[in-house]
Amino acid sequence: MMHRQEAARALVGALTDQLVVTGLGNVANDIFAAGDRALNFYSRGAMGMAMSIALGLARARPQDRVVCVDGEGSVLMNLGSLATIGRYAPPNLTCIVWDNEAYQITGGQTTPTAHGVDLAHVARGCGITGASVSYSLEEFSARLRETLDAPGPHLLVAKVDRTLAEGWSPRRPALIKYRFMGRLGTLEDVGRMAW
Amino acid sequence: MAWADTVFACLKANGIRTIAHVPDTILTGLIRLAQDEGDMDVLGPTREEEGVGMVCGAYLGGSPGALLMQNSGLGNAANAIASLAIPYQIPFLMLISQRGELGEFNTVQVGMGQALRPTLDGLGVPHFTPERQEDVERVVHGACALAFSTDRPVAVILSPLLTGGKQL
Repeated sequence: MMHRQEAARALVGALTDQLVVTGLGNVANDIFAAGDRALNFYSRGAMGMAMSIALGLARARPQDRVVCVDGEGSVLMNLGSLATIGRYAPPNLTCIVWDNEAYQITGGQTTPTAHGVDLAHVARGCGITGASVSYSLEEFSARLRETLDAPGPHLLVAKVDRTLAEGWSPRRPALIKYRFMGRLGTLEDVGRMAW
Repeated sequence: MAWADTVFACLKANGIRTIAHVPDTILTGLIRLAQDEGDMDVLGPTREEEGVGMVCGAYLGGSPGALLMQNSGLGNAANAIASLAIPYQIPFLMLISQRGELGEFNTVQVGMGQALRPTLDGLGVPHFTPERQEDVERVVHGACALAFSTDRPVAVILSPLLTGGKQL
């Protein structure tokens, strides 16, 4: 099991111009604390939707690499998204799952992965063929290096501890959207205004 | 079906480039038109909620979207509409085929059919129901303008008065 904030820093440190979609809660805080960037889209609600948002984004931006980071509790809420990602197989999508085997933010109740459910196995069954589980930071960092520029889709499960980030991701959803689309150049009005 | 041809022409005219659909008998012709078109990215999520996430993600990437579903799917999609599309001000068009209304033969369709408009009203999603073919173009154009000019999801309900509904 790896230190969660070290894993977040390793991930953010490996990024260049990728578009990042995070799930809600602690995952968003982790990525924000490890290094905020305009091309991060932080979820604040819609538990389970991060992979679906990332899939839609990857389809709309085939020339860009999309990285989705979500917690295992959220992924379990929308397992169908793994089937859809397997079906459409976007080569420019890398999915990362923080798996701490708990719904940490609501009091640490166990998730199914604490009881033997293997999300990488599920992903492989959905056609995401190289899906893997990493238990150490070295292993996770190596998988990241292998996959971030290689044709996907990829799914990397990282077994992480429950170390919390310091601070919170931004609280205003519209601001997150407008900044992201402004930087990406997909919203004309943002580009026409002085900032 | 004249209504499906008109709806599809309106989607194209309004720059819709991503279509997510969960299959439904009434929508079959419209889905086929989208699949045959070639220019649109036509995607099949496993569940309507996933479709909300996909069209929202596509919009962030510059590809405006529509979600096609039966009214039962609105129940599956409600939380993603309420906690993703609305607070993030991400627009998309919903085309919702209505069951549980005039001519319904299946008891289990009635509940969500009756809950359709109260659910949309509760979410604050504007919705419009063209009942005659001559209104379809104006309604779909207007719904797209409202959605994409004011950054919110908007629904067009496909009533059995327009579509003929599903026959036993």
